[in-house]
Amino acid sequence: MNAPPSFIHDIEASAIGEWMRGNLLAMPVVNAVHVLCVTLVFGTILVVDLRLLGLLDRGRAVTQIAHEMLRVTWAAFAVAALTGALFFSANATTYWFNPAFRFKMLAILLAGVNMAVFQLITFRGVAAWDRNAPTPRAARLAATLSILIWISVLVLGRVIGFTKSVEVTVPENVDFDFSGGP
Amino acid sequence: MSLQEFAAGIQSTSLSTALKSVSWIVPTLQSVHILMIGVVFVSILMISLRVLGRVRADEPLVRVWNRFAPFLWSGVAVMAVTGVVLTIAEPVREFMTLSFRLKMLLLVICIGSAAAFGRSVRGAARVAGVATGVEPPLPAGVRLAAVATLVLWIAIIFLGRAIAYDTPVWGDWSPTVSLGGAAT
Repeated sequence: MNAPPSFIHDIEASAIGEWMRGNLLAMPVVNAVHVLCVTLVFGTILVVDLRLLGLLDRGRAVTQIAHEMLRVTWAAFAVAALTGALFFSANATTYWFNPAFRFKMLAILLAGVNMAVFQLITFRGVAAWDRNAPTPRAARLAATLSILIWISVLVLGRVIGFTKSVEVTVPENVDFDFSGGP
Repeated sequence: MSLQEFAAGIQSTSLSTALKSVSWIVPTLQSVHILMIGVVFVSILMISLRVLGRVRADEPLVRVWNRFAPFLWSGVAVMAVTGVVLTIAEPVREFMTLSFRLKMLLLVICIGSAAAFGRSVRGAARVAGVATGVEPPLPAGVRLAAVATLVLWIAIIFLGRAIAYDTPVWGDWSPTVSLGGAAT
């Protein structure tokens, strides 16, 4: 295995990386905020996607739903990216070679491309199908891709926790001694 | 029988051993569990923000409830199933943490209050007559309850994640300390 690039070492050796590793509460708090924000990103995008698929909220304008939900999505995404970067700084060299981490970053990139294509091309014609009209095939395709990609992002994020061997869980062979008191 | 013996008893069953012996089962169930957090929490968020008048103020509250409640309840059901199976797979990891115990307590409170809220919203809408478009007035204190609901659900999500870090989070309050500090 090749050595990671030097900037990856620098990130891990940085004061922030040091702080993340050294502070007992940093990891659980950053982890919990990350999970909260990632689930918010997924949940709010799902509301928009289900409208684009024409499955729910058909009487409600697409633009209105997108406006309402995407404010929360972007705020949550920003905090998720920030907390994710804090995670990365703690164990940058390990993350660098972790396949689940790499696929997760790729999936986020794909989600961005899918969103950009939808926003710049399909969404331009939204006036024609904003309300009380079936959404075009391109919008339904973008919504389907979006749901699938974000599910992948969440699953890959969970897989990182199992392949990076930083989280400590109760060992299966933990010795229970019920004979004496604590 | 202490809770610790109970947990160890589950851990020694063939079902628990079987679940743990297949490496992908726990990560997969956890992934589904986390996806459902998104569904459930956003449903709660939308209903609470509607009560606060921050989203869908042009829709009657009962319609917003009816739009999100099926997602709330299906999500809670899937989380209950995945949660129970995860607990059978790793009973000591779950039961022997303060985070898990507090999480279960808050869940009972939050699910109970959501059910009561839903019944009250639907009841009020029936009385007022949604067909006439008359929005029944919200009872006093319901805005505060909406904020409290959001805080409690966030606490549930935090506690769920804290199960993996019980000792660093709770220190000596964590029951894992009595396991000889082997677990975090």
